[in-house]
This record gives sequence, C-alpha cells and structure tokens, in this order.
Amino acid sequence: MNAPKSATVSPTTCWSCNAPTNAAAFCPQCGKIQSLPANADYFTYFGLPRKLWMGMDALEQKFLQLSWKLHPDNFVNTDEREGEMSLQRSSRLNDAYRVLRDPVARIEYLLELEGMRKEGEHKQQAPPELLEEVFELNESLDELREAKSAGANLDALTIKLRVAEKNFGEKLHEVDAEMKTAAQQWDAALDANANESDREAILQRLNELLNRRSYIRNLVAGVEKELQGASC
Amino acid sequence: MGRIVGIDLGTTNSLVAYVDAQTGQPRCIPGPYGSTLCPSVVSLDPDGSVIVGEAARRRLLTQPERTIYSVKRLMGRGPADVQSELQLFPFRIDPASKNVIRVMLGDKMFTPPEISAFILRELRNWAESDLGETVDRAVITVPAYFNDAQRQATKDAGRIAGLEVLRLVNEPTAAALAYGLHEKQRGHVAVYDLGGGTFDISILKLISTSEGDIYQVLATNGDTHLGGDDIDNLLQAFVHQRVLQNGNFDFSSNPESTQELRRSLISVKHELSERDSAILRFPLPNGEIFTHEFSRADFEALIRPIVDRTMGPVKQALADAHLAPGAIEEVVLVGGTTRTPLIRRTVQEFFGRRPHTELNPDEVVALGAAVQANILERGVSNMLLLDVTPLSLGIETYGGAVSKIIPRNSTIPASAQEQYTTGVDNQTGIDIQVLQGERELAKDCRSLARFTLKVPPAPAGLPRIEVGFLIDANGILQVAAKDMRTGEQHSIEVQPSYGINDTEIERMLEESIEYAEQDFAERQLIEARTESEAILSATTKALANPQSAEIPASERSNIEAAIAALKQSTAGTDYKLIRKRIDELNHATEHLAELLMNSAVSTALAGRKLAEV
Repeated sequence: MNAPKSATVSPTTCWSCNAPTNAAAFCPQCGKIQSLPANADYFTYFGLPRKLWMGMDALEQKFLQLSWKLHPDNFVNTDEREGEMSLQRSSRLNDAYRVLRDPVARIEYLLELEGMRKEGEHKQQAPPELLEEVFELNESLDELREAKSAGANLDALTIKLRVAEKNFGEKLHEVDAEMKTAAQQWDAALDANANESDREAILQRLNELLNRRSYIRNLVAGVEKELQGASC
Repeated sequence: MGRIVGIDLGTTNSLVAYVDAQTGQPRCIPGPYGSTLCPSVVSLDPDGSVIVGEAARRRLLTQPERTIYSVKRLMGRGPADVQSELQLFPFRIDPASKNVIRVMLGDKMFTPPEISAFILRELRNWAESDLGETVDRAVITVPAYFNDAQRQATKDAGRIAGLEVLRLVNEPTAAALAYGLHEKQRGHVAVYDLGGGTFDISILKLISTSEGDIYQVLATNGDTHLGGDDIDNLLQAFVHQRVLQNGNFDFSSNPESTQELRRSLISVKHELSERDSAILRFPLPNGEIFTHEFSRADFEALIRPIVDRTMGPVKQALADAHLAPGAIEEVVLVGGTTRTPLIRRTVQEFFGRRPHTELNPDEVVALGAAVQANILERGVSNMLLLDVTPLSLGIETYGGAVSKIIPRNSTIPASAQEQYTTGVDNQTGIDIQVLQGERELAKDCRSLARFTLKVPPAPAGLPRIEVGFLIDANGILQVAAKDMRTGEQHSIEVQPSYGINDTEIERMLEESIEYAEQDFAERQLIEARTESEAILSATTKALANPQSAEIPASERSNIEAAIAALKQSTAGTDYKLIRKRIDELNHATEHLAELLMNSAVSTALAGRKLAEV
C-alpha cells in the first residue's frame, strides 16, 4: 500500500470553540490544544519539506520549542481530553525527532513515506558484487568457531578476520558516501521539480544502498561478536 | 484540592518533600523522630495495627517474622523472578503466589504495592501534620532502570495509599533537577545513583532557552538489583562463614541474631567510610563474642566486584549518548552508598573530575521530586524535563524473535504504530505479545502484556488493524487499536503480566484505610510515651548502679534535669516535644551509658542508647 504522495492538510475546526484551526497545534481563537491530523508526517511536524539534508541545530531548536508547548507536564491541570491530545502530539513529536535526527533512519522513513519500502523490510540476500568476499568471510567465521570449540590456536584466524572486518568497514564508508550523493540528488530533484520517474529512480537507488548498508552492517556486527569471544 | 508533594520511595529509606512557597526552595519534611528519613520498614502488630518507619525498624530485631524491609526489591516482579532474593532476604512469600507475590507478615498476606502503600501513607501523614493541609497528590520517584511492571506497581502503591500519582520521575533525573536549582549547571551531566537496592546512571544535557531550562536525558542505564544491600549481604556472608568455620554458631537457624548482626555490620560499613579500620565485636547467642577487625583495604577488596558491576552500565549509557567520559562536564553522586570512598575514587578516576556531593545524597532525590511536583502544580513553568525510556519495547514476531518498535533511550512520551492482518480466512483473533528488553529472543525479554486482538471474520489479509503502542511520560505502556477500514477504535484490555487489576486495587485501598483507622498523632503519642517509659526506667536503674558514682556531679544534675523535663512532657499530648526530651535525655546519658557497658562489648555497642543496652 502506498502512502499519500504529499501531505494534504485539510482545514479543520477547533473541538472546543469551532473556530477554523488550519491544522495548527493550538486553536488560534481559544488557544486550546488540537488533536493531530491523521495524515501528518514527520516532515510536516517540523514544518520541513521532504528533503534529506537538514540543519541539526535548527532541528533541535524547533524540537525544544515544540516540546515546551506540547509536553504533558503543561496539561496536568487541564481536562482529560486536552491531556490526551498533548500525549498524542508530544509522543509523535519525539518519534519524529528521533527519526529525523538520524540520517539513515531519515532516509528509511522517506522511502516508507514515498511507498518505496515497507516497514521492517530488509533484503537478506548478499549484494551480487560482494558474494565472493561474503563467502570467504563466512568460511573464516566457521573455521574460527570450530577452532574455538577444539581449543586450537586462534591467532592466524583472528588476524584474517580483522583484515576482513576492516575491509567491510571501508565498504560501509563507501556506501555511506554513495548514500550522501544520492540524498543530495533527491534534494536537487525536489528543488528542480523533477518528474516522477526521475524521482523514483533516485528513491530506488537509495533503497538499494540502504539494503546494502544494513547487510554489511550485520556482517561487521557478526564478525565483531565472534572476535570478542575469541579475545576473552 | 490539596497539596502535591514529592516522595522518594526508597529501598532503605523514604522521604517526603515540598517546595516552600515563600523561599521557592524544596525542603524535606521531618517525621516524629526528627529525621527526614523514614526507614522503608513495615511491621504488623499482633493487634492488627501497622507500624512504619523507625519504630518498625526497631522491631526487625524483636519481631522479624512480622516485619519487612527492602520490599522495593519485590515491586513488579513475579514469584519466579525473586528466587535469588529469597536466599539473601528474609522475605516470607506465600507459596501459593502465582502471578502476584504475596508476602506474609505474621499470619496476614500483603502484595508488595500494599506494603509500599503503608510507607506512602506514613509519609503523607508526616506531610499533612507538618503542612497543616490535606495532601492528596504526589510525584513519586522510581529508579530510572525500572521496567513497566515495576513502574506500574509503584503507581498502584500510590493509589492504594489514596494518593493520585501525577508523575513517576526517574531518581537520577530528580537529583539533577535538585542540583540544577542549587548549582545552575550547564552542559553534559552524569548522575551516578547507587542506593540501597538499585543502581542508575543517567547522562543529561542541560540547555538554557529563552523559555527556561531544559533537562534532557540523553541515555540511562542501570541495574535494579544492585546496591548497598548487596554490600551488607557480602559482609554478612563473610561473618556467617567465619563463625560457622570456627564452629561457634550457625546463623541460618536464628533470624533474630541475623538481623542484629546485619545492623552491627551496617555500622561497621558506615565507620569504614570515615576511618581506615573498624572492629566488629558481636555477642553470639551462645554467649561467645565474635571479634573481627576490618581494614578498609579488606573491605574494598570485598566490595570491588559490586563497584565494578556499576561500570558496565556507565560505559553503555555513555556509548548510547555518543559521548566520551571526558565530554561530561559535571558528575553528581546520589544515594547513601556513594559515601563509600572506593566508589567516589572509582567514579572520579573514570570521568577525570571531582564529583559533586554538596547536597545530602539521601535527600537530593526527594528534593528533586518536590521541584517536579511544584512544576506540575503550577501547570506552566520555566523548567522542563525530557526523560527517556530505559528499555527497548518490542513485539514478538514469528519464531519467537523480537521486533523492536521503540528503542531504549527514546524520549518519552514515545509511540509506535503497527499494522496487523489475518493469515487465514475468518480468523477472529491475532495474538500479540509486548516485550521489554534488549535481547533478540522473546523468551529472554520481559513480557509486559499478552493479548488477543479481536478481528471481525473476513477473508485472509483483508482486515487491517493498526495497534498503537504508547509509552507515557511515566514510562508506562498504553495500548490502543484501530480498525483502519472502519476507523473504529477498539479498546484493549491489557492484563499486565505481573500486575494487580483495578478491582483488586479498589479492595486494597479500602483495606488500607481500615489499617490506617487509628489516628496518626494518637499512635505517635502512644509510641513516644512507651519509649519514654523504657528510657526512664533504664536511666533510673543506671543511676542506682554503684559505678555511676564515677560521673561528675554536674553531669548527674544534668541527667536529673532531663528526667524531670521528660516526665513533664509525657503528661502533655505533644509527641514531638516528648521525642525532643527523649533525645535530650539520651544525649545527657551518653557518658553514663558508656561507663556502664562491659568493656568487651563497648565497641560493638558504641552509639547505642541506654534503653537499648
């Protein structure tokens, strides 16, 4: 199922005084907190376009500013309904900040939002160009496990695995650099009002890079875990 | 509506505090014994009345089977979780306990929240009698590393005590609030909190904005079963073994002397924070006296594993906050156990800076709770607390794996939405298990709740139900479901895995009111008079002893004056005055008491009062 392509915010009215609110967090007429529109996404919470580059300081400032207004501490003495709305708004604000401040989570979220990626979806097969190295690495890991259970000397294998770990660590940096380039392309495409197929191509590329990144990361984590056990 | 107070519901001691409207400063409220510390000890009198605090602590020696301490260790836990505690603590648990633990005091059974509620009720009485106002709402502190069930149990305790719990605040965060007022700190702060039974480390960022100060917790970690109690257990095990080896005595057969030994060892522990060595001289029930000199070096070697166990969480919290130890600008020590020099040294070496200890480590958490209570009372304030959830929230997926939906150290409130559908035609329910913890398999995480989502019969894959998981500002889970096709909200009855339901809480509230029937002031007066009788008779006996001739005449006349003053006060009904006169008489007879003690046991009994000898 595809998420809406753009966040269309419908004009709403205040639950308390019926004045139009234009989806603002607080009613411009009576000042009461309003419930969150169902279709609002994390970018719109922060009043941001769906671009992948964002200034961290500005994001933090905005987060703190909104927290002051929305936090449930401010609604202890109000009626239950306002308390509920504050809980809903401030929890989504925290969720949005958690995702947007992390560059990788931000890309993943954008892809979900644009219907390119299903939540929790990970491609577990190895990227074709890495197949040979992954095969070798898994072999070394097996040898290490066997050597461990046999109580054999692990030094040679440990060195071999450290080299492989470093190698994959470098690949991770490469993927990160490629992701950065693709992210810049996405932002430029938005600025240039590029057509849908161009944009989809960039998103496709980002999705591949993301899968590749998570695959390599899991590999590195697996090696680290085995090596930790070996050095004890 | 009445006042809001801040309460530190501790493993060893509990305190109540409020912000003074005139000075704007938080203040801890003293109890009838003049101390702001209420020992977290509850005793059930054979006549059915409940005794809390110092008076109950004294009963640990005389009526251990009717008295319980460190009940916080049992909060929110199931019978299977606490087996290891039972080896070390004299908890008597009803063997028929299934989901909820029931502790036996005498022949009656209570759940841990009910016992904690007795302590809360006592503190509420302290506050009401000090402030002269009704107190019906409270902010209660909990260890930052408490899980959902432990938090829920604490909130239940508040309700059973007739208090509306406006907020649960994490203890290290509360301490940071109190220090913030005191020091006006900025930047990154680490709070190391080692109490009687729990350890927490929190890393905070203190930010000034035009609206006011923000206390943002970046990461927290800890161990809810690590504290001063464990040091006491080590010392106790050491002595038990020594005594057993020498063939003198087996402590396992004698709960009374076990409690007495524990108390002496706690004095030894406290002494070792001040001096390089301390001597334990303990009279065994068989008449022999066990003597052992503890050097500080021996003591530190013994407790080193406990101190080391705190450093794992410290490193993890820093890693989660993406900070190196050197990036921490201020370090704050909280909890009585941080008075131990080895702990101070270890923390100082790790962070490379001298920790703050200006505020009383026993009081600082309660003071912070009072600050938060004041913030909530006023609605809008110039301080804002942004705390985090200590443990990841996950749901069980196929094959017993856990899918994390809210990672640990997420700012709370936090939420996650999951979409569910059916796998077979006309399936009417979807089983959901919610878990908390960092492990990858469901069986290694704590189950918070298990429930079945009801689905109207339809072809497989057609129903679309969104389940919203929300961790509120107290760190407690709420669950709601919505049918995405109809927009209809489903209410979900989530039965906590280790919890008490609403009906039971109502019943417990009613029962607890029965126990509390006896008027607080009246009970205090009876206790104060009983104690004054004991000390008066002990003093008269001591003065009749020929050895008392050795004390100077001026001292004797001081004692006599104090006796007269105490006798006069007991004629009145002011229990606080009686307590004051008792303290004065105790003070006047210190020298006399020392003189009369057998020299062999003088060290073991140092600091005791005449009535206890």
